[in-house]
Amino acid sequence: MANDVRAVDKSPTAPAPRKGGDRASFGDYLLFAATLVLPPRFTPKKVKYNRRYRTLDKYRFISWFLVVPLLLYAVLVISPFFQAFYYSLTDWSGYSSDFNYIGLDNYTRMFEDDDFWASIKNSVVLLVVAPVVTLGLGLFFAFMLQAGGRHRKSEAISGVRGAKFFKVVYFFPQVLSVAIVGVVWGSVYDPITGPLNEVLRIVGLESWTQGWLSDPNIALYSVMFVMCWMFIGFYVVLFSAAMGSVPKDIYEAALLDGASRPKTFFRVTLPLIWDTVQTGWIYMGIQALDGFAIVYIMTINAGGPGNSTLVTPVYLYKKAFDVGQAGYATAVGVVLLIITMIFTAIMMLLSRRERIEF
Amino acid sequence: MGSTSDVNRRDVIKRAAALGLVAVPGMTALSACASGSDDSGDDKVDKGKKTDENPLGVNKEAGAEVVIFNGGYGDQYAKDAHKVYEKSYGKVKHASTQKIRTKMQPRMVKGNPPDVINNSGAENMDIASLIEDKQVADLEALLDAPSLFDSSKTVREMLLPGVVEKGTFGGDKLYQLNYSYTVYGTWYSQTALDKLEVEYPKTWDEMLAVCAKAKKEGMAGWTYAGKHPYYFAFTMYPFIAKIGGADVLKAIDNLEPDAWKHEAVKKAFDAYYELRAKGYILKGTPGIDHIQSQTQWTKGNALFLPNGSWVENEARKTTPKDFKMTVAPPTGLDKSDAMPFETLWAEASEPFMVPAKAKNVEGGMEWLRVMMGKESTQNFTKLVSALTCVKGAADGVELPSGLSSAKAALDAAGENIVSPRLPDWYLQLHKEKVGGAIAAMMAGDIKPDEAVKRCQKAADDLSGDDSIKKYKR
Amino acid sequence: MSGEMQVTSLTKTTAEEPEGEAARTDQPPAAPPGKAPKSSEGSVLNAFSSAFLVLWVIMAAGPLIWVMVNSLRESSDITGNPFGWPTSLSFENFSNAWSDANIGKYAANSLIILCGSLPGTMLLGSMAAYVIARFSFRGNRVIYMLFAGGMMFPIILAVVPLFFVMDNFGLLDTRHGIMLAYIAYSLPFTTFFMTSFFRTLPGSVAEAATIDGASHTRTFFQIMLPMAKPGLISIGIFNFLGQWNQYFLPLALNSTDPDKALLTQGLAELSVNQGYEGDWGALFAGLSIAMIPILVVYMVFQRQVQEGLTAGAVK
Repeated sequence: MANDVRAVDKSPTAPAPRKGGDRASFGDYLLFAATLVLPPRFTPKKVKYNRRYRTLDKYRFISWFLVVPLLLYAVLVISPFFQAFYYSLTDWSGYSSDFNYIGLDNYTRMFEDDDFWASIKNSVVLLVVAPVVTLGLGLFFAFMLQAGGRHRKSEAISGVRGAKFFKVVYFFPQVLSVAIVGVVWGSVYDPITGPLNEVLRIVGLESWTQGWLSDPNIALYSVMFVMCWMFIGFYVVLFSAAMGSVPKDIYEAALLDGASRPKTFFRVTLPLIWDTVQTGWIYMGIQALDGFAIVYIMTINAGGPGNSTLVTPVYLYKKAFDVGQAGYATAVGVVLLIITMIFTAIMMLLSRRERIEF
Repeated sequence: MGSTSDVNRRDVIKRAAALGLVAVPGMTALSACASGSDDSGDDKVDKGKKTDENPLGVNKEAGAEVVIFNGGYGDQYAKDAHKVYEKSYGKVKHASTQKIRTKMQPRMVKGNPPDVINNSGAENMDIASLIEDKQVADLEALLDAPSLFDSSKTVREMLLPGVVEKGTFGGDKLYQLNYSYTVYGTWYSQTALDKLEVEYPKTWDEMLAVCAKAKKEGMAGWTYAGKHPYYFAFTMYPFIAKIGGADVLKAIDNLEPDAWKHEAVKKAFDAYYELRAKGYILKGTPGIDHIQSQTQWTKGNALFLPNGSWVENEARKTTPKDFKMTVAPPTGLDKSDAMPFETLWAEASEPFMVPAKAKNVEGGMEWLRVMMGKESTQNFTKLVSALTCVKGAADGVELPSGLSSAKAALDAAGENIVSPRLPDWYLQLHKEKVGGAIAAMMAGDIKPDEAVKRCQKAADDLSGDDSIKKYKR
Repeated sequence: MSGEMQVTSLTKTTAEEPEGEAARTDQPPAAPPGKAPKSSEGSVLNAFSSAFLVLWVIMAAGPLIWVMVNSLRESSDITGNPFGWPTSLSFENFSNAWSDANIGKYAANSLIILCGSLPGTMLLGSMAAYVIARFSFRGNRVIYMLFAGGMMFPIILAVVPLFFVMDNFGLLDTRHGIMLAYIAYSLPFTTFFMTSFFRTLPGSVAEAATIDGASHTRTFFQIMLPMAKPGLISIGIFNFLGQWNQYFLPLALNSTDPDKALLTQGLAELSVNQGYEGDWGALFAGLSIAMIPILVVYMVFQRQVQEGLTAGAVK
């Protein structure tokens, strides 16, 4: 470190910059550069009293604070993804370090791969339906908790009694590992010893009992329900918080105007918290597109019956590990990543509108 | 390396960049040596001197590392074998897991695998890909070494029929040794049949009659592992062979065009579909896993169960004492069957392999030789109630009910043993496509015609897929 | 710096606020309590919605309670009837799961990892988020998008290359390696939400501190970080949950030495194991062992979780 400073000191006659007398000399640049990597207390005096020091101090701070997180992130997160892109252009089996570059073959192969398309179809269904259901129920519950209570004297709206208790319980599934959720719901759906069919039998709805995961027509929806089940609590809490920050007098005005509660919800509440809803939508969409563990643990043949619950991440996993086609699997993963990005981009574009201030 | 922080930092960045970008070409360079010969020659232990006692030339000091699949057979049998091995050679490092692939695949890629892998279970490594990548040592030296069971014979001569064929993939060298010998068939409780006052049905009409009788008693005829529908193949494949002859299965294995459209396949599917149509399948079966199906079966809720001879050990905890577990060859169709009733599917199973890049390849093979000795084979049979791939190894050993019926069925079958190769060669086709089609049919989602069509289409798709290696028999 | 300043100044910073953020004004003073309208439409709706709210309580907690009750029953009873109370209160299933599957040791391993990874995540994440939220510089937006975009990456795609990267650095199968990986993969979420949190903090305090001659670093650690405490706690809890439940990363990066296995890995082995043996009781006991501590932690901190969501994620 001391080396640096001395090196700068030794060059007082640094060549002047070509134009703009206003600009600092080359030596100054070096000095500034050196200062960037020094702790503040070692800042050379010459720099410290320079009028640009404030700017320099700012950039020094910025780069110091960013370098470790960025480095870690780049090495452990970004670079593996770039490597994955490379693997997607090879015929790597995943079992040895021996592979050939095959260009875009993996990508063209995907077009004729029925299983791949089946997985995309299921993933897209999840992407579209799961957020609607989850956010819809989340909004409903949150509104009920926030404004569903009996009117009390001093308040225009009031939450139901025990709202806090509801919120705490609703959040339970969110804190569990997906692996646990998968195993638990696998047992719940069990057609013979599972409690779901048993409940139906007890209440006399024997005809409603189902092979929840073995009937290809409902298996995907059984999976989807578990996904929604996991996340609804999160959205109830999130939306309650958002609704709680809406000033009460807005409700008051609406209710004084004689608006019913559903009307209040759609005319007042929803527009006011629309921003939060959209952020939640993106997050839920990403969760729905993943959906690996639930499908992998719960369903028949991991994605069955047939291809009825096969989602893209599970297909990727199978290709990579069951049949030793890691190259092809990474190509599938790249496509999945692109779909996720397109989805997010669309949602972000849609959310680019004026926020409602309150 | 410079002394200034600037240089250090640049160095760090350089290393990061090297990982992100250079690591990929680096891998290909590394692979260049890997594909030629063993690149990990440096890591290997020195070979020992070959003697009569030590025919494989194992280094007496070097240790060996063995990884066991901790499934239905547990790992005690292996631990016992370690003791025998350690009498003559180095220490054995033992590990067991249910997730062979997750734990072993990284080590295979890195080139520091253990010396023996029991590559088994639902999450095993795709052996065909491993052989393709030259990751597996051939076991010819082991086969030619004298057997520890009968020293006048070689290991090869002591193997049951089909063991070597099952462990070769396309070539003639043995890569994977299947240690256990499994008998597949229709499993039932003799006690339950006695209660119904019926004999085990030999033709399909008899089968339907037995199921009808069971239904009257409030008992389902069949249950199976709906979540793993390939269990159904254990009786379905030999049933097809029985109706149409062993060549039908051969054609299916060879992915011949229209192999699935053979009349025998259709007849077999129709017969099983009748079980479904007549309501002889335990309600809820399509959605249960193998353990659940076995539990329902041992509880007496269903009469028949397609399974393999490991079921006796796996269902031990729930089996009533007077159950009298028995296996019989799959019921035939009628008098016009091409093969006799005794025909069944039996084959070596529970695969073991020695990685080519293992440090102590000879030690790994020697450990397998120990496993095929008298002490280990009989210990295995006693411990886990399963037969081994060594001829006559279970003679004189007292066997539990299910296993002794399996041995009797095997003896009765004589030459009439079929062993389809689809599960080894094209696992995905067998497990997901064919299994899935049968599952859909048995769940009532599709008709037998459609199931046949699906199987044929899956086979055709696979046959046209260049990325998968094809085999012929 | 006194805490009072946080309360008194609710106006936004001007100088270093990245543009594009909507300005937030003070909430208008609460209106005087008005007369509530008569509610006749309420009763039917109330009954219906209350029923629905209660139904979902059963949906959310029911399966978990069912698992816990079954963990006290014998395997043969469970297969006989899904519902039923334990015939005798025996903890045999638990002792089986505990001793056979080493759940205690795995839980301790997980805790050790989290002791390093959680503070690391929060520190590095807040550092990056603070700079992104409160300083304008070239590349700010890019770095923000880089982190935020990371939330979309399917980890499954990166696992294999990551394995080699870790191997090259000698981080494979080491505790500090797992910690670093946990930190790196928690950064997107942490940075994203902490950024939005720092943006909501009043800037005048920081400005005042700077004028007083405090360095940026000191301002961050002594003023801004304490002010961000609600956000730190709630994001911290989410990271705790996420890292405690993390399954993929340890599976790939920590698979060699069974003594170092983490709780999720131990549970996976347990559940496969029970699958082979058909011991439902022990399986449910194992699930309960995994669920109960995390549920307790959540109940203790539930107020912070909800407040954190209010403070951080909404705005």
